[in-house]
Amino acid sequence: MHRVSKLSFPLRPALFLLVPMAIALLAACTPENNQSTFGTAGPIAKDQADLFNFIFWIAAVVFILVEGAIIYISVRYRRRSDSDKLPHQTHGNDRLEITWTIIPVLILAVIAVPTLTGIWEQQNGVPDDQGEVLNVEAIGHQWWFEFRYPNHEVVTSNELHIPVNRPVAFKLESQDVIHSFWVPKIAGKVDMVPLNDNYMWMIGDEVGEYYGQCAEFCGIAHAHMRFRVIVHTEEDFQAWITGMHTAPDAPVAGSPEASGKNLFAANCSSCHSSDTTSPGSYAREVTSQQARWNGWISDIENSGIVSAPNLTNFGQHTTIGAGLKDLNQASLEQWITDPSSIKIGTRMQKHAAVYDTADGTAKLSPAEVSDIATYLLSLKPGSAPAGAVADAGGDVDGADVFAANCTSCHSTGDNTVVGPGLAGVGDRAGSRVDGMDATMYLKESLTDPGSYIVDGFPAVMPEMGHLGTESIEALVTYLKTLK
Amino acid sequence: MTTKSLKFPQAFPRPKSATGIWSWIGTVDHKRIGTMYGIVSFIWFLVGGLEALLMRAQLASAENDLIGPEAFNQLFTMHGTTMVFLVIMPLSAAFFNWLIPLQIGARDVAFPRLNALSFWIFLFGSILINFSWVTGDAPNGGWFGYAPNSGTTFNPGLGMTYWVVGLNVLGVASIAAGLNFIVTILNMRAPGMDMFKIPIFTWMTLITSVLIVLAMPVLAVAGIQLMTDRVYGTHFFNSLGGGDPVMWQHIFWLFGHPEVYILILPAMGIVSEVLPTFARKPLFGYPFVVFAGAVIAFMGWFVWSHHMFTVGLGPAANTAFSISTMLIAVPTGVKIFNWLGTLWGGNIRLNTPMLFSISFIAMFTIGGLSGVMHASPPTDAQQQDTYFIVAHFHYVLVGGALLGIFSGIYFWWPKFTGYFLNEKLGIANWALMMIGFNLQFAPMHWLGMDGMPRRIYTYAENMGWEGSNLAASIGGLILGIGILVFIFNVFYSKMNKVMAGDDPWDGRTLEWATSSPPPVHDFDVIPQVQYRDDFWFKKYPETISEYYHDDHDQAVPSGAQLDDEVEEALPVVSGGSDDHGHGAIHLPDMSYYPFILSVGIAILGAGFITNTYVVGAGVPFILWGLLGWSMEPVNDPE
Amino acid sequence: MTQAAATEHHEPVENTSTGLNSRKLMMWAFLGSDVMFFGAFIATYLVYRGKSLVGPYPSEILDIPLTSVSTFVLLMSSLAMVLGLHYVKEGQKNKGTIWILVVVVLGAIFMGFQFYEFREFAHEGLTPRTNIFGTTFFILTGIHGAHVTIGVAWMAFMAYGSHTGALRKDNALDLEIAGLYWHFVDIVWIVIFTVIYLISATDGPPPGVGPTILH
Repeated sequence: MHRVSKLSFPLRPALFLLVPMAIALLAACTPENNQSTFGTAGPIAKDQADLFNFIFWIAAVVFILVEGAIIYISVRYRRRSDSDKLPHQTHGNDRLEITWTIIPVLILAVIAVPTLTGIWEQQNGVPDDQGEVLNVEAIGHQWWFEFRYPNHEVVTSNELHIPVNRPVAFKLESQDVIHSFWVPKIAGKVDMVPLNDNYMWMIGDEVGEYYGQCAEFCGIAHAHMRFRVIVHTEEDFQAWITGMHTAPDAPVAGSPEASGKNLFAANCSSCHSSDTTSPGSYAREVTSQQARWNGWISDIENSGIVSAPNLTNFGQHTTIGAGLKDLNQASLEQWITDPSSIKIGTRMQKHAAVYDTADGTAKLSPAEVSDIATYLLSLKPGSAPAGAVADAGGDVDGADVFAANCTSCHSTGDNTVVGPGLAGVGDRAGSRVDGMDATMYLKESLTDPGSYIVDGFPAVMPEMGHLGTESIEALVTYLKTLK
Repeated sequence: MTTKSLKFPQAFPRPKSATGIWSWIGTVDHKRIGTMYGIVSFIWFLVGGLEALLMRAQLASAENDLIGPEAFNQLFTMHGTTMVFLVIMPLSAAFFNWLIPLQIGARDVAFPRLNALSFWIFLFGSILINFSWVTGDAPNGGWFGYAPNSGTTFNPGLGMTYWVVGLNVLGVASIAAGLNFIVTILNMRAPGMDMFKIPIFTWMTLITSVLIVLAMPVLAVAGIQLMTDRVYGTHFFNSLGGGDPVMWQHIFWLFGHPEVYILILPAMGIVSEVLPTFARKPLFGYPFVVFAGAVIAFMGWFVWSHHMFTVGLGPAANTAFSISTMLIAVPTGVKIFNWLGTLWGGNIRLNTPMLFSISFIAMFTIGGLSGVMHASPPTDAQQQDTYFIVAHFHYVLVGGALLGIFSGIYFWWPKFTGYFLNEKLGIANWALMMIGFNLQFAPMHWLGMDGMPRRIYTYAENMGWEGSNLAASIGGLILGIGILVFIFNVFYSKMNKVMAGDDPWDGRTLEWATSSPPPVHDFDVIPQVQYRDDFWFKKYPETISEYYHDDHDQAVPSGAQLDDEVEEALPVVSGGSDDHGHGAIHLPDMSYYPFILSVGIAILGAGFITNTYVVGAGVPFILWGLLGWSMEPVNDPE
Repeated sequence: MTQAAATEHHEPVENTSTGLNSRKLMMWAFLGSDVMFFGAFIATYLVYRGKSLVGPYPSEILDIPLTSVSTFVLLMSSLAMVLGLHYVKEGQKNKGTIWILVVVVLGAIFMGFQFYEFREFAHEGLTPRTNIFGTTFFILTGIHGAHVTIGVAWMAFMAYGSHTGALRKDNALDLEIAGLYWHFVDIVWIVIFTVIYLISATDGPPPGVGPTILH
């Protein structure tokens, strides 16, 4: 019989093995890390971490016993000389087999008890004894999070505000692909699945700012689909809610903010709402967001509209790009100019007309970008009382209204942007529908756009009723002048 | 017997040559097919490894921009798909092919031409999937292709179509191979070798084959549904048309979890052969190891939803699947304890195959323990879709399946080739792989618990993930160097041959009874089997009583008596077209038709990706292959 | 199979470990595989029952009497299959050939019914792309139809073999194996007929939605 070269027990390789393991152990988890599942700030995450620790230590004992046995047996029974001594040719031992079948069953039973308790505590809705529940609808979009507070009629994006020590019940939704909602320090994740609304609840028990991230692979910008959870004291939370119902002060004429406002209206506002403060505006935003989705999905290739983060009081945000960068003038300008320099794959850059350039950067001068950024950063609760309707006072110029609200989809020439070009609409409008003159037709088209879709165009235009009667009438007057 | 039979006009003369490219294309020899499986899947292993290294390079530091998200998504999709379907499954198939007939004392598998067909379909299917790299449109939806991200609405390119069609083609190959090995193991055993005398690797192959035959059709269904969604606009998983994305997950994981055992059971079989050989002891508790394997395979069908604990199936479903998942750890534990029992009291030779096998137990244990952690839905709520999961399944699939396969390569190389792989290089290969592997994947546990989701192409600097990621990347590099040492070893050993002889390890099973490498007909005389580990007990008859005396069930080595019955009572019938008698050396002739048929199936597949006319182009090849095959006699008249 | 049983059926005893012919064993294993295949498709159909967002709905379009006839035709083909195998085993070449041809013809008639049904449905506005019912219906019955097609081609091959004398008493096993496949495809159809046609026959539009097909 051939014999391979004699070997002592390869201690040296074993050492090589132990060293990296030790290094790895030393680098063990740091609870301070932003998404550490150990540095918990809520009872659910804590229960989950405790259960992990419980199983971990049981596993550690099993690990040491099994690995210890492997090393012990390998050393003790290794071939010491060239002897080909035959060990006893045992076939097995039934009693041992039964023993090592039963012991794991018992260990697993021990693990199963807290596991099952945990499942029913965490996944069966908010228990009754946890205090007043805050309801939130969290919606995953490619690639950002929308948060709606139906009871408070507040909608925001990427930064979730919740009160400390109060249970928050989430309805998790998605329209596009599967996402997963995860705030490691406060609670484990639950997926956001199209057609399958999910529910979860959590409590943040420490005031602070926490990191969240989409955990289910959802496409090109999955790595950048992040969010923040800001846990407030109850008072701060109520103040935030009040603030979200308070419109920003109107910019001073001639200021960069005023210029930025117009530029925003012309280039950004068909996808980004920024005025969801007044009564009724919440319902409108919910409808508009659905209309944007319908518009996008009905013609993905050519759509100029996508679901987009609501930017109401955006100046209060601390991050941009779904939690990617700290929000400031510089980062916002970079984002507006070329989103892909921060986050590759945004729907905004792909679909918005303003990015329809050779290199994909915005069709805006640096000064214009700066103005928009300044304007957005100025969007903070203003001095008007909460809930007031921010109405444009004085004379309304239809051309301004058009510039602010319509130009991202309609040109005044013959070319199609999203909707038809409006050259000559004043002449056509009167003859489109029998028994309707131009004024009636245009007004109806603005307040209920679904009524008379021009053949060959998607039914994506949002209702414009929220502009107010005055603006609508000014707009109609302006449109009739288009020859 | 002169009988009339149908004749199909032959375009080519039937292949006869024993050398050259045509001898490989026409071969029906299980050993040659096994070699081809081994070489092709090892090449894919290098491709998949390169994909992994590129990803590790990208993740080595925070906010790295070496590789963009689009390429990264393609890399992890193809890495997973490649390693599961093009590496571990076919590498296992290489061992099935080489070893099953040798271990059961047969001259070939039950259906040699079907065996060739399996290989060729696998080859073309694997090329089809990877051809997407050439077109620049590689699949990018993840290896489990979750809907609706894998549908055309959100994934309009051709990538996922390549993926789904490629998987369907590969599925045909796997099912054909699975059927073949089930029949081979049940029907082709040497006289006297009843089911509880077959080697444990053969048992695991049988169980794996049953799993393949039952699980791959489920993947085929998922694949056909996704394919018709993508190609013909049906609504199976299209949420906009009412299709339910969760349905995809159910179907995929109903296949996917048995698949996990398809990947690991062959390696467990290999380890169960290596440990007894180098401990010079029989496998401890053979019937329990077999039974544990069967229980794992059975229970593997009732745990699929543990991949879906965060999908929102509700607490009742999560409870049920949590318990079933924990229970499956029990038979796995039984196997580990029996391996330790095998080593206990042995005369252990710590050479390369043994080091790989012992490492298998050590590493697989880690993977098993972390598996128990996310069998608990509350902890899984934190771990699901993080690097903790990535760490877990790499401990199972690299630390488990791949180490087992390497153990098998070093163990059976002398049988395959007649010479040893170099032992010193082997130890270096093992040490580098173990260091690299642990350095790469152990830190991923911490990364997962630190909140790093999987499948992100980059991460921010302030997350605290850089150190562990860098360690993992360095580990990946070391693991890669370990693989290079293996490749060097193959060439070095070929140029500096140390001849092995027929039975270099003092083996226990029948493959060591024939020459190394075995003759084309495997055995000059078909062995008569009396005992479990028959070859061993015939070498060391004095140990028979030690093994059999204290267990009454095993006490009757009835082989000898049975042999006589078999020989006397059963007339030899050459009925089936691929049957061949055990007595006379009578091997099936070579055939081109498996190759032609597989070309047809490949063209058919390519047609679903490109256009329907190409599908039509595949049909004549398929008809040619099928008709030619069915009218071709196993052996031409001399 | 015990030796006694084997002798009784005048079948040669196979020289295999189990005593079963390898090809027959493989056909059984394959049918097990195919059970999973159809099982997953049928499960998909059942899960998606009543999930269509738009019509036509099953109750508006399924023609139970028509499909009952085609089901009867397919069941009769199994009877013909049994007779064909019987006569081939008896060595009665002509009777065997005729009965195998009957299987081919009945199988072809079934396919004709299915082709007609598909065309009618498409004509009434139900295609695989229309809704979830269309998707699951066409793919499930289509996959079954593909099985029948393969079976018909196989049986035609067998009939030709029987006619030329290539299929005889001593290799009737070839036909037996093809028969296993044929009977299996039949049984699957009974399940599909039950699940799609009988159980779903009354599945109409959801409440509040009017008929989507106006005859």
